Amino acid sequence: MPPSDILVIGGGVTGTVAAIRLAEQGARVTVLDAATNAGSDANAGSLHVQMQSRFMRLYPDQVPNVEAALPFYKQAADTWVEMDGELGGVELVRKGGLMLAESEEQLAFLQKKAERETAQGLSVDILQRTELERFAPWLGPQIVGAEICHDEGKLNPLIANQRLRQLAEASGVARRKVFVDALDEGSNGVTAHTSDGSFHADQVLLAAAWGSADLTAPFGITVPSAAEPLHMNITEPSTIAISHLVQHAERSITLKQFGTGQIVIGGGWAASDQGRGVPPKVRAESMLGNVALAAKLAPAIGGLRVIRTWAGMNTTTDGASIIGRLPKTDRVVMALPGDAGYTLGPLVGRLAADIALGRVPNIDIERFSPSRFADLV
Amino acid sequence: MGVKRFHFEGQEITAPEGKSLAAALTEAGVRAFRDTAKEAERGIFCGMGVCQDCLVTVNGAPNTRACMTRVEEGFEVERQVALPAFGALDQQETSDPLHLSPDVLVIGGGAGGLSAAAAAAEAGASVVLLDERKVAGGQYYKQAADHTILDQQQADGAKLVAQARASGADLISGVELWGAFDGLVFLGHRDGQPVIVKPKTAIVATGAYERPVTVPGWTLPGVMTTGAAQTLWRSYQTLPGKRIAVCGSGPLNVQVALELAKGGAEIVFIAERAPAAISKPFNALAMALADPKLTIQGLRMLADLRKRGIKVHNATELTEIAQERDGLAATFVGRVGRKQTVQIDALCMNAGFEPQNEILRLLGARMHYDPAMGHLRCDKSKVMETCVPGLYAIGDCTGLGGAPAARLEGEIAGSHAASACGYASESDLETKQSGLTKHRAFQKNLWTLYDIAPADTTALPSDTVICRCEELTLGDVRAGLATKPGHVGTLKRATRVGMGRWQGRYCGPVAARIVSQATDQAIDDLSFFAPRVPIKPVPISAILAAEEAMAAEDSDVTEVADAAQ
Repeated sequence: MPPSDILVIGGGVTGTVAAIRLAEQGARVTVLDAATNAGSDANAGSLHVQMQSRFMRLYPDQVPNVEAALPFYKQAADTWVEMDGELGGVELVRKGGLMLAESEEQLAFLQKKAERETAQGLSVDILQRTELERFAPWLGPQIVGAEICHDEGKLNPLIANQRLRQLAEASGVARRKVFVDALDEGSNGVTAHTSDGSFHADQVLLAAAWGSADLTAPFGITVPSAAEPLHMNITEPSTIAISHLVQHAERSITLKQFGTGQIVIGGGWAASDQGRGVPPKVRAESMLGNVALAAKLAPAIGGLRVIRTWAGMNTTTDGASIIGRLPKTDRVVMALPGDAGYTLGPLVGRLAADIALGRVPNIDIERFSPSRFADLV
Repeated sequence: MGVKRFHFEGQEITAPEGKSLAAALTEAGVRAFRDTAKEAERGIFCGMGVCQDCLVTVNGAPNTRACMTRVEEGFEVERQVALPAFGALDQQETSDPLHLSPDVLVIGGGAGGLSAAAAAAEAGASVVLLDERKVAGGQYYKQAADHTILDQQQADGAKLVAQARASGADLISGVELWGAFDGLVFLGHRDGQPVIVKPKTAIVATGAYERPVTVPGWTLPGVMTTGAAQTLWRSYQTLPGKRIAVCGSGPLNVQVALELAKGGAEIVFIAERAPAAISKPFNALAMALADPKLTIQGLRMLADLRKRGIKVHNATELTEIAQERDGLAATFVGRVGRKQTVQIDALCMNAGFEPQNEILRLLGARMHYDPAMGHLRCDKSKVMETCVPGLYAIGDCTGLGGAPAARLEGEIAGSHAASACGYASESDLETKQSGLTKHRAFQKNLWTLYDIAPADTTALPSDTVICRCEELTLGDVRAGLATKPGHVGTLKRATRVGMGRWQGRYCGPVAARIVSQATDQAIDDLSFFAPRVPIKPVPISAILAAEEAMAAEDSDVTEVADAAQ
């Protein structure tokens, strides 16, 4: 294999988009990917923009951070719209996302949240039950209203992943199925030691999601990336009735209908880690809790059958993206969405690629710099 | 027995009480039950609730399996459309949950399960046996809905069912399990009633389903598994058609051809992929020595067919099925390449078996690949325990072994599970083990006389449908290999193969073999799709009912604990 200018570690949505941009700019790029338990492979295609109220209640101290990053989420969703065109259509629908309230208190909370989001440039509205009735008559009678974020949407990740892979290949990106055990820096580059030999390059773009923490350790920094196994449920198809991404003001849930007519239910319900190379296992309490909640919010889906579940790894950090060069080396560029990985992935990938190419990104990403973790060592 | 009247697409049909909707429609001459998204017609295929192809809308409830539904008076039945209207879906009525916590849970009411339940209950353990079908007996003993006894096989089955009932085991029919979780928690439903089982030990006896002959046209209505045709006849005295051909490999094909002929069908063609048994005299002799009685039974069947003028065409394979105005045209190719096309109403196919090992794989029971049978076998101890503590596995779900072996394995597992719960019994393990050895020798030699190695797909036309639910052809699946899969999961995401309501039961093994060929990797447990709940498609309303039942149970426990303090 000829030497690469840049090794991209992690072939999910972030790494693949970065690799495409790098290759388009003339770099010789090799993607190293273990091809197991990739978060992008298990993703269900929600485009998240608005603040998660559950998160706000649980971690009030992190709210200012999340709030400040809202324009970034919106820009990430815009990036997906661009990519939908470039990839020849990935069933992207941007009709907005609903956050449902089951009480006046929840609706009042959403009202305040909406005001803060409007201040950050998001397009949001508060809808009363009667207004919801016009396009969501399938909602349970207990729903009093909702916040709608017009910037949100959904896409089909199966198609998007496939098209991204094809585009990467067409752009000349090489891809190797290896597990990267460690990185080390020499005088003339970086070496990735893998399950199938060593790979050498001038630079590394690290888009290895939850696997990133182990790989940054030798560079005197520990990014707090952690694996969070989650599961999803999907039903048999029916005619299309739900065009919005549906969430709840207090509880963890996402519900949406794919172009196939199938309804996908998820939203962060825990699965059980089974170790490397084996997909996580679906837990009884998660499946019961997740699907039962969906049935209560949208009773009209009660007759539909769940035909499949799957589980995969989400990645958490400190709640924010990690983008930029590591403080102690010029040769490693981080590309970790940190939250809403599939939504933020393309934008994070493009920004990280720009940094690796020595360009100044067109938006201010100082707040996402990995140097914020340098103190922790 | 009363008579039930119902409508199909407005046409009035009558059927005797107890008959399945699938049988009643077949008897009325209906072959196509539903239309697919790609505007193809489908009808009965597996006849045992696995394939999800015989879907109809019953009283407004879409996607109801006709083979698992009994005809009721006044049913309004319609052909199933590909996309039922959102919200028009019937919210199932749910009733009070059934909570069970027996010493021994037996899953499956066939030869193995019934034997296990009887053995465990006779030892004194509390036993619950859950069976998906409305009538116990399983696929081998196939009991008639109206309790008619056609022959010795059904008589033996009736005796075994009676023995299991007399043992004190609680036999519950019509329960579909959809969840199996660590710690041995099983979730299911019975006509909308949530069933929650937390047993001390569990014996999985879920049997096998048939491997089809995958050729162009195998999805057409009127083409069904040999077992489906047998169920129509043995359970409901319904013939799948007047003119019938049978193909694939194995003794079941000959047996069912003879049964259908005796029932009045005209068997126009029997194609057996393997050459005549006479070409392997040593195996034939070894088989006869291992079980002379069964061997003689087999020979009698062949003689009986000959007497009726029905010939078994050896070394002959099905290559294509075409829809004609009044039925099907099936084309066969024989040893010297001679082609023969026959006009028929129904085509029965069986080319081996796939174990129903979903529950075992979900719970982490270790498997190994058996290349001769082309399927996974479950690793188990001498007492039928898997590597998962308290989980036993018996019969064909652990790899094909036949009903007599399943019975012995059931007896062994049943008494051991009971003894693990503190009910020791006098079970002669050694005699049973030696009986098993004999049956296994019989099976081993029997299958060398047939050809049930999975068919090579490379020679198939690329427009052959591989994934029936998602309607994907071999060409579609092969195109997915271009994304350098390395794993069947990657192929699944690239092509949607196995994503439909059959949950990959038929296309999964084919996809696993295609990937194994493309990557030059040996097949093992991880070569197949990851095991996932639900085991069978489950209505959201049933999941909601189970969740509420579990929550109520937990709060009861808390209340008791509070009271104790």
